[in-house]
Amino acid sequence: MKQFNLPDLGEGLPDAEIVRWLVKEGDTVAIDQPMVEMETAKAVVEVPSPFAGRIAKLHGQEGDVINTGDLLVSFGDGAVADEDEAPAEEAPAETNEAEASAEVSSDDIVGDTFMLPDLGEGLPDAEIVRWLVKEGDTVTVDQPMVEMETAKAVVEVPSPFAAKVSKLYGQPGDVINTGDPLVEFGGSGKSSAPKKEESGEEKRADSGTVVGAVEVGNNVVAETTNSVVKALARKLKVDLTQVSGTGKDGAITQKDVREAAKNGTGSAKAAKAAPQPESGFDTSNPLAYKASPAVRALARKLGVDLGNCQASGRKGSITRDDVEQASKGGGSAPAATSQAQAKASSTPSSTGGLPTLNVEVKPESVRGVRRAMAMGMAHSHSTVVPTSLVEDVDISAWPKGTDSLARYVRALVVAAKAVPAVNAWFDGEKFERLLHPNVNVGIAVDSGDGLYVPVVHNADRMSMADVRANVQELRQKIESKSLKQEDQQNATITLSNFGSIAGRYGTPVVSPPQVAILGTGRFRNELKLTDKGIVNAKMLPLSLTFDHRACTGGEAARFLAAVMEDLQKAQ
Amino acid sequence: MAAITLIEAVNAAMAYELEHDQDVVLFGEDVGKNGGVFRATDGLQKKYGKDRVIDTPLAESMIAGLAVGMAAQGMKPIAEMQFMGFIFPAVDQIFCHAARMRHRTRGRITQPLVIRAPFGGGIHAPEHHSESTEALFSHIPGLKVVIPSNPSRAYGLMLAAIRDPDPVIFLEPKRVYRIVKHEVEDNGEEYPLEACFVDREGSDITLISWGAMMHETLQAAEKLAAEGIDAEVIDVATVSPIDMDTILESVEKTGRACIIQEAPKSGSVGSEIAAEIAEKAVLSLLAPIGRVSGYDTVMPYYRLEKQYMPNVDRILDEVRTIMEYK
Repeated sequence: MKQFNLPDLGEGLPDAEIVRWLVKEGDTVAIDQPMVEMETAKAVVEVPSPFAGRIAKLHGQEGDVINTGDLLVSFGDGAVADEDEAPAEEAPAETNEAEASAEVSSDDIVGDTFMLPDLGEGLPDAEIVRWLVKEGDTVTVDQPMVEMETAKAVVEVPSPFAAKVSKLYGQPGDVINTGDPLVEFGGSGKSSAPKKEESGEEKRADSGTVVGAVEVGNNVVAETTNSVVKALARKLKVDLTQVSGTGKDGAITQKDVREAAKNGTGSAKAAKAAPQPESGFDTSNPLAYKASPAVRALARKLGVDLGNCQASGRKGSITRDDVEQASKGGGSAPAATSQAQAKASSTPSSTGGLPTLNVEVKPESVRGVRRAMAMGMAHSHSTVVPTSLVEDVDISAWPKGTDSLARYVRALVVAAKAVPAVNAWFDGEKFERLLHPNVNVGIAVDSGDGLYVPVVHNADRMSMADVRANVQELRQKIESKSLKQEDQQNATITLSNFGSIAGRYGTPVVSPPQVAILGTGRFRNELKLTDKGIVNAKMLPLSLTFDHRACTGGEAARFLAAVMEDLQKAQ
Repeated sequence: MAAITLIEAVNAAMAYELEHDQDVVLFGEDVGKNGGVFRATDGLQKKYGKDRVIDTPLAESMIAGLAVGMAAQGMKPIAEMQFMGFIFPAVDQIFCHAARMRHRTRGRITQPLVIRAPFGGGIHAPEHHSESTEALFSHIPGLKVVIPSNPSRAYGLMLAAIRDPDPVIFLEPKRVYRIVKHEVEDNGEEYPLEACFVDREGSDITLISWGAMMHETLQAAEKLAAEGIDAEVIDVATVSPIDMDTILESVEKTGRACIIQEAPKSGSVGSEIAAEIAEKAVLSLLAPIGRVSGYDTVMPYYRLEKQYMPNVDRILDEVRTIMEYK
């Protein structure tokens, strides 16, 4: 008599319910003929017969729950044994899925002999490709013993035991029928007991069926409703601190948040600003400062505390230059100062920017010409070594109506010819200087937009009238915003006529690669002691700033003397 | 209030909408009489009839096409792909029609449909049953891709997905179908889509994950806490479009980020999140962004599955590496 026990129906579930018998006692069935419909927690499946034969007894009525592994059908005399153990039929969409590796169950073990299990697709046999163990080897549980090829795939068959292999049935190339002996175990080393005990459980969990083994747990966990409410609040831009809860113990519910969003009662901006703690400015917290990882690494290398750095980068970030600057400055920028500055700003976004004032004036961003000026000046400041000479020149001899600007330009031209070292360009990196044969005079022009320095090119080849006309034209271009790039390039020396507004002396800034700039102050009447007695002289203050890397003090002084000599002339 | 599993939560949410919205219909292979291979639709045909819970032939392209057509006519179809691995025949319908209909008709026709699919590995399934291909769908404009990580979220997000006027790919981490239960009130309250859930607040590192991997991630966070590392854990939940505000805010707070996903690493949702963090929060980063993920290979069969799947130890290793940057 053959017995058929309920197989695992495929999802690792412990039991199944009989929905409907499709055969009755005394029927003769064929292999694979459906015998019963059974319902698991997942599906109703038909269970086919593994044998051709006569049914002696059906164990259970419709509605009964049968445990996996329990007796389901007994076959009577005349059962034709088919060595195929029929697999459980699975959900229809899935039946043709290949399985990767063999499953081993207690059904496959008879005594110490391991029978070839169904390798997963209900195929009748498999061919030995390669033995991975040999007789006499000791194997561990799950150690692959043999590679076998079915009609669909080559799979490894693992050992169900930790034991010694006493006999291998078959050579590579042999075809072994499912259910026939494959490996015999012997010796005292066999410790299958724990594995065997587990195997029932394992089969459930790891049944390796078409669907797979969904683990079943029973631990009950509570959803943190808090995180749901917070997520919704962020999405709807609602500040939870502004919302009063109507839930249990005053808890804020999703409904409260939705209503607040509808009524506009929680402000989004407040919510945005809130999460940043004040303690963010603690210098011990690296996140108090915005800096790229590379900058942070540099700071570490140079031993610079980011708290000692100015933040001049984008979005208030600290740049490499800032770190290097702080490194050079050493202790001269004490942490206390920068911390004080950081504290003064109330929002993180302004860290390192202008301190926030309690007035309704917002800093404007500096753009365009003003920005160019700022950058030019900064560049100049960081490269040029400026030295200034100041002197007054007597221009009493000028006839009425003299064009002062044209005279200044002419004086520069004359002096440049006398001392070419000042009408020059200097490259501080390559240590090269270029003495210009021509004189291009940059003229600093103040405008509402900022500082322009248009250039009178080849002033040395112009009459004073031409110079005046040229300057006039450039000024008009500035007003009409049509000044071109080339109008501002290639100055060899610069004139700043600040005196036309106010100021006696100044320290005008050299614009590299030029090496000098002449500032002319506001002229004044002065009593002057001469050979002829005290006279009323008209005095023009001059301020010459030069890059001391490029020319000597002597050259600068001789240049200034030449300027003065020319300016003193009547015509 | 009943303690239910994720699969039961999916069932409950669909039942709730079938009950309250006559436009909702449900169909797929074996969803009716059999109640679905995982029992997600168990009992629904019995209750709501064969007109509203429909067994279809085994033809994924047709199932998706049916959903597109119904949605275009104002119904709210929920279509089941038996496994995400079988969704590919339906991709044409989803990418070329569902995702584009609103754009194509200048907003005249929307696609209030949901395509459900169990996905992910860890259950010893055969080929094509274990992949995590959420990134494919995340890449397509017009689709929302939602992945619940626990029963409560499955319930709330499923309701939101059905009610959403646009197509939602609703991916159910099948490994989590039955391993955890939540007390869920069947009150029809939806959860926000396109929002991340902060499941654990912390100050040292932000762990970002979704779906089944949330469980390993939360376990890892607990272990890290014992080591003195205070991790913040974010459940992305909607992997497209991603709520980057929440993630960026967190990373700016902690300065460190680690993304945990089951999918292959290259070109993944994790890659996208990492790129966004690098783009928008680089100034706050104290260490490189870490990723713990599956490998760029075919998802293996069950004997190697454990090697493939990210686990708590791999997360801990990665986090410790990230924390070593000072």
